[in-house]
Amino acid sequence: MRFFHARRTLYLIVGLLIISPIFGVILADMVGYHEPLDVAAEKLGLEELEFNWTPLYDYSVPGLPAEVGYIVAGIIGILVIWGICYLVAKLMEKRESGA
Amino acid sequence: MHIPDGFLDAWICVVTYILAIAYGIIAYKYFARKATVEHISLIANLAAVIFVAQMLNWPLPGGTSLHFVGGALAGIILGPFLGFIVLSLVLFVQCIVFHDGGITTLGANILNMAIVDVLVGYFIYIMIVGKKSSGPINERKAFIGSFLGGWFGITLAGIAAGIELGLSVQFGYGLGIALPVMAYSHFILGVIEGIITGLVIVYLVRRGYKLPIEEEVMNQ
Repeated sequence: MRFFHARRTLYLIVGLLIISPIFGVILADMVGYHEPLDVAAEKLGLEELEFNWTPLYDYSVPGLPAEVGYIVAGIIGILVIWGICYLVAKLMEKRESGA
Repeated sequence: MHIPDGFLDAWICVVTYILAIAYGIIAYKYFARKATVEHISLIANLAAVIFVAQMLNWPLPGGTSLHFVGGALAGIILGPFLGFIVLSLVLFVQCIVFHDGGITTLGANILNMAIVDVLVGYFIYIMIVGKKSSGPINERKAFIGSFLGGWFGITLAGIAAGIELGLSVQFGYGLGIALPVMAYSHFILGVIEGIITGLVIVYLVRRGYKLPIEEEVMNQ
């Protein structure tokens, strides 16, 4: 598996990651992060269901400050996405060479 | 746009899961028949970019914010089936790893962002640019097609979410409120999505890509 336009794509991803805490944490805290859906939920007093299964809830990493955790969470997410694709590509190569 | 757990009634969760899985089976069949390792590279990169882009929330005056969704973008670049796979992968990872979007509502979120947004973006773009364009793609047409695709993709995805929420007794507002509020807010905020989608597509067209990249990946 080869990464398509790897360098340019990588620059884009790294650039977005670096600025992500500005938009995801700092400005969000300043204005109060509210999607239209969140606004409606708040007005109704709707709570998300209590159960939670992940330590990385809401792009935070336990023990890290929010801004750093946001970037680390982003890196983890990308690695999971790439990992899944890599496995599928490996399986496909194996099947093709076996056939 | 990511609907959390506890907002939708059980039957809506079931229906949306069935729709998402049905479309997923069709997409998988397409993938198994046509996709090459090169396509997977494209899917991996586009999914990573869209995942990070979705982490940027643009705060807007009035205490509201929106993030880029990218469904129309994926649909225009990779077509309705591989574009679906890109968005589904992003939504799946967001849900499982970060609990962004509920697990009971994953079907609904996939329906809105990986099916409705992707299909609307794809079809509007194709309608304006044409599918079998021999020769260079008209840049202005490409921009208009992808701008409108991105804009209306988000709007219709918002409408779909509004219907799902409005039909849910659990979500206190009925269809009469949920639908227009979701439709209107996404119609307004969707202009930004349209502009970004348009700029990215024009950039790719300028670099010589024939979009959507479906049948074959161009040799680099």
